[in-house]
Amino acid sequence: MAAPRGNTKWQTLARYVAYLVVAVAVLVPYVLPLPLTFKPSDWAKKLYDRVEALPEGSAVLFSFDYDPAAMAELYPMSLGLLRHCFRRNLRPIVMTHWPNGVGLCKQLVEKTAEEAGKTSGQDYVFLGYKPGGSNLVLNMGESLQGAFDRDYYGKPTEGMPALAEVKKLKDIPLVVDIAAGGTVEMWIAYGRDRFGFDLGAGCTAVIAPDLYPFLQSKQLCGFLGGLRGAADYETMLDKPEDATKGMQAQSLVHVFLIVLIISANIGYVWTRVVRGPED
Amino acid sequence: MAAPEETVSPVRRAVELSVLLGLLVAFLIVSVVIEAPTTAKRIGIVLGAGLTLVMYSFLYRDNPLFKIAENLYVGVALGYGAILTWKLSLKPEIVAPLILDPPHWAAFWGELARRIVPIILGLLLLTRLSRKYAWLSRYAYTLMVGWGAGIGIPIVAHSYILQQLQAAVRPLNAAAASDAGFWASGLAMLGALVILIGTVTVLFYFFFSVEHKGVGGAVSKVGIWFLMVSFGASFGYTVMGRVSLLIGRVQFLIYEWLQVPQ
Repeated sequence: MAAPRGNTKWQTLARYVAYLVVAVAVLVPYVLPLPLTFKPSDWAKKLYDRVEALPEGSAVLFSFDYDPAAMAELYPMSLGLLRHCFRRNLRPIVMTHWPNGVGLCKQLVEKTAEEAGKTSGQDYVFLGYKPGGSNLVLNMGESLQGAFDRDYYGKPTEGMPALAEVKKLKDIPLVVDIAAGGTVEMWIAYGRDRFGFDLGAGCTAVIAPDLYPFLQSKQLCGFLGGLRGAADYETMLDKPEDATKGMQAQSLVHVFLIVLIISANIGYVWTRVVRGPED
Repeated sequence: MAAPEETVSPVRRAVELSVLLGLLVAFLIVSVVIEAPTTAKRIGIVLGAGLTLVMYSFLYRDNPLFKIAENLYVGVALGYGAILTWKLSLKPEIVAPLILDPPHWAAFWGELARRIVPIILGLLLLTRLSRKYAWLSRYAYTLMVGWGAGIGIPIVAHSYILQQLQAAVRPLNAAAASDAGFWASGLAMLGALVILIGTVTVLFYFFFSVEHKGVGGAVSKVGIWFLMVSFGASFGYTVMGRVSLLIGRVQFLIYEWLQVPQ
């Protein structure tokens, strides 16, 4: 293999400058808020409208399948969705497939319930974690109380007011999976397509492109992708918080990265013109 | 093969060490001045902030502090996972109902009967740890593979192939809503056409029984363009995801460690 060409000292310096510019671009909006506005995407709006269209008192199942590593993107959208449900007096049923996400899930549910003055077991239920993945979804499709005989706090789910008239997955009009892994596909195949409920999804930006085919095939009724999706939901709720502020930093970094990619390509072409093609 | 060691002059090493010590002192002063770490929550925040900054020190160069933080992360994640597996799976599913908090005698047999097969299969998996008895684990694996394939194949074929195929081959005019205007309908139809062309050309690109020459070569090249666009979209989203993680850490440092009001 030929040795890398170019001045490595300059390249190292350029790398440090790039890091520095990214750091400054991320910090600037927290010092000087920018007048950047954006319009919520169609798919985020569809999920919002689906929640909005549910009759008061309807059950909504949330599967928060992520851990603190994906908190930056998924926590704000989870917060927005739960706030929306509580604001509309819906009954959130919250669970997770990720054991490392239970603590985060509990904090999220208790925070939003306290803000809205809702009571566990009465207005919402936090089921916690159960192992099983797709088997658990199939089990919930047969009997929700059979799959989770107790909630996270150890109260029996049988006869719980928050689960009134909810015996199995098909009794729930809307399920939303907020995921940092492949659980959305699992919910589509083992849940939505088998038991016939509407499925919405939110996910990290990294896995967002994998989910677009399911939007086109209408297997997902709405979708929030990455920090942008979270900011969209905050905008529609008229409660701009961390994600909206984060999007300002995101936009500045993107501008810098676009400039960097274009200039690096010009530099690459220029090097080839001046020095000739590599061996 | 181990990565080649970077040669660093003693002077540079001394300067780096001084800067590191200076940063450490500055970090401690800032942490204490803002709020003394006397509560468990504050100690957690200061530790989290310190570890975050140490992780980012890798951007300058690999260093012992980064290595410590990296190993700490792996160890804590493993320990946390083990405790959670005990607390959320083993204890409530097996140990509590059968040993710690057993129901009365008649109900005990019912509880045991519900759990005995999974318990035996789980124990069989553990025989992987023994060379002599590892063959026993095959029974558990056989059941898992057989069950997984039996349940999974029809479901996956329906959801990931048939439903996707149905969406890809529907008539072009079906993409437009009946009440949509001229331009909206046109754009929807164009989108459906692009999806159709993309699906066909990419499938053709992965069809290796025919040499990609002439018309076939042109179709295959269009397939490559579609793949490149798809990789570009994935890369763009990945960049967005990574920047979001940085933003999340910066928000933690600003709002929780430095306690800047929002």
